[in-house]
Amino acid sequence: MSDGAAWQGNIKARLYERVRERGYDSLTAFADARPAVPLFVLADELGNDVAAVQVLSGLLYEAERSRRVTRFVRDLLVRLLSQSLPDGWPAVMDDANVFKVAKALGSWSAYTPETHQERGRLAREALRANPPPAGWRPLGPDDELLRVLLPDEEA
Amino acid sequence: MRARLLVLSLALLTTGCISVPHAPARGRTLNYTPRAATPPEGVDIASDERPGAFDPSPYSIAGSWPRQRFVRHGGARIDATKAASGAVGGGAQTGASPRQAVLDAIDEVKGTLDGVEGTFTKLAAHRPRALGEQSLNDDGLFSRFVEHGSAQVTWLRGGLGSATGLTEVASEVGDPDMELGVLRMTGPKLQATMFGTLLLATWVDFLQFSAAIIKHCFVCSDEKLFVDLHRVQRLMEPTLKDLESLDPERVEAAATAMPELMGKLTQEFAALQAQTRESMRVGEKVLTAAQVLEMVSMISTLKMSLPRLPPAAPVTLGMSLAMGSGGVMMGSRIVVSAEWVEMMRRLVQAGVISLPAVNAAVRIHGGQVMMAQAYQDLPQGVRDALGDSPEVRGMHVTGKAGAGMSEAPKHHVLPKEHREWFEQRGFKGDMDIDQFCVRLEKSQHEAIHGGGNWRLGRTWPGEWNRMLMKALSDAEVEAGRRLTRNAVLDIVADRMKDYRIPMNFVTGRRR
Repeated sequence: MSDGAAWQGNIKARLYERVRERGYDSLTAFADARPAVPLFVLADELGNDVAAVQVLSGLLYEAERSRRVTRFVRDLLVRLLSQSLPDGWPAVMDDANVFKVAKALGSWSAYTPETHQERGRLAREALRANPPPAGWRPLGPDDELLRVLLPDEEA
Repeated sequence: MRARLLVLSLALLTTGCISVPHAPARGRTLNYTPRAATPPEGVDIASDERPGAFDPSPYSIAGSWPRQRFVRHGGARIDATKAASGAVGGGAQTGASPRQAVLDAIDEVKGTLDGVEGTFTKLAAHRPRALGEQSLNDDGLFSRFVEHGSAQVTWLRGGLGSATGLTEVASEVGDPDMELGVLRMTGPKLQATMFGTLLLATWVDFLQFSAAIIKHCFVCSDEKLFVDLHRVQRLMEPTLKDLESLDPERVEAAATAMPELMGKLTQEFAALQAQTRESMRVGEKVLTAAQVLEMVSMISTLKMSLPRLPPAAPVTLGMSLAMGSGGVMMGSRIVVSAEWVEMMRRLVQAGVISLPAVNAAVRIHGGQVMMAQAYQDLPQGVRDALGDSPEVRGMHVTGKAGAGMSEAPKHHVLPKEHREWFEQRGFKGDMDIDQFCVRLEKSQHEAIHGGGNWRLGRTWPGEWNRMLMKALSDAEVEAGRRLTRNAVLDIVADRMKDYRIPMNFVTGRRR
C-alpha cells in the first residue's frame, strides 16, 4: 500500500538513505546509472514510499549545487520521452502520436524549474518548427540533438 | 469439476430443486440468459411450487445465477463452441478483468429490474377486478402503492445507465490505473441499484400478495391491508432515499443495514400471512387459506427468510451459511452461485464494491435476517471465497470501510478553480471534476500543495494545481488543439503516479 506513505516521515532523509543503500553517494549518480528510465521507475526502485517528484526535486537540488541545471532539464526530457514514446519519435503524426508527443513535452514544461522556463519554451518551439527524425530516441542528457536544442551555458 | 457439477445439477433436477420448465430449448446459444424471459404469470396464477422448495428465482439478483450456471453447463455439450462468445459471465476467458465483473454485475441487476418492472406493469394493468366493487373508499390506493414502486424503477435505471456509461469511459482510458479508478466510480451506483432492486423485489411480493388477498379474501379488511402496506412503505422509505442519493457514504450505510430492514420486512410479511390465514379460517368457505397463500409466487429473497408453512420457527434460525462447490449453501440449498461469489470477489478486490456490502447481500440472499445479527460477519469459508483479507478491506476507501483513510478530507484532483476549463473538455455530469476527488491526509495534502519541507530543489515549486494546469495547457499548445477528456485523464494519471496519489476517487462537493 502506497497510500500516503511517501508523504510521511522524513522524506529527504529517506530518499538519501535509499540511495546510499543502493551503493551511490548521490541521486545523480544513481539516476545516471539508469539513463532514459522514467522518473516513476527510479522512484519505484527506491521504494514504494518514495515519489517520483521527490526524486525530481532531489536531482534538481544536486544540479543546482553543481551548476548543471541545464543538463538536469535535458535529462528530464529524456526520461519523459522514454515514458511516452518508448519506440522513439513517431514517423506518422496521427492523433495518438500527436498526443504522446504533447504529453511528454507538456509535462516536461510543468517539471522544468523556473530558471529554465523560457529556454524550455524556446526549445519546444524549435522542436515544433523542426521535428526530429523519426525514431529519434535520446539515451541520455548528452544526446547530440538535445545539446543543440538546449546547450549548457553554466560551467 | 464439470462432472461434479453435472452430477449436482442432475441431482437437483431429479429432486425438483430446479424448475425444469424454465430451461432453454436445446441448441440455444449459451449466452442467452433466461432471466428476464419469463416474468411472473400475473398476480393470481397458482404456483405449483411448494413453499420452501428451492426456486432460484429469475428475479432475485443472486438467484438467477444458479440457473444460468446449470443452463450453461447443461448445454455445454450441445453448443460448446459458442460458450466462449458468451457476453454475460463468459467465465474465465472474459471474466478476468474488473471491467467485465462490473458489466456482469450491471447486467445481473438489469435482469432483475426488468422482471420487477414487468410485474409492476402487470399489477398496474390487471388491477384486482373486485377492488372497485368491494371497497368504495379505496380511492385508487392500491394503484398508488404500485406507482410508488414504479417510480423507483426510474432512478434505478438511471443509476445503471450512468454506471454503464462510466464503464465505457473506463474502457477508453489508456492508463490501467486510471481505468480502475474510473471503474471504481461505478461502485456506489452499482451498490445502490443492487440493494434498491432487492428491496423493490420485496415490495413486489407485498403487492402481489395484497392483490391476491383483495381478490380472494372477502372477509379480509382492505383498509387494514392498506394500513399495513403503508407501514411497510414507510419502513422502506429511508433506505430507498439513501440508496437513491447515490452518495457513497449513505449508500454504504444503507446497504450494510439492509439485512436488519429485511428482517423487519420478513416479520411484516409473516404477520400479513398469519392474519390472512386467520381471517379466512374464520369466514371463508370457498377457498382454503393455504390455496390463496400459495397462489403468489414470490420473487424476492423474502422466501428464504419467511417461516415455512405451517407456522414454525424461522427457517434460517440456527442454520448457517457455508461455502460449497456450487456456491454459498444453506443446508443443501444454493443461496448464491459460485459465479456470483466470484464476480463479487473480483469487484471487492478491484475496490468497486465494499466487502461489508457484499456480506449484507449474501446474508439477505440467505435469508439470514431474522436474528439480531445485523452486522455479524459471514462464516469464514464464505468470507474466504469472497476474498476477505485486510488488504482487500482497505481497498474500498469510501464509507467506513477504508483502512484509516476514510475520515481523511477529500480534495479535488482536477483543480476546481478551473472547473470551466475541464467542462469544456468533457468533464460534465457523471464525469464532472467533483467525481475526481481523493482522500488525503493533512500532511500529504499540504506537501502536494506547496507545503511541507520535502523539496530539495529550490527552483521548482512542484505545487500540484499549478504543475497540472501547466502540463495540460502546454500539452494543448504542443498538440495545437484541445485535449480530449481521455487525453486529459491520461496526463493526470501519469502525474498522479509521480506524486503517488492513489487513484481511489470519491465524490466531493461543489462549493
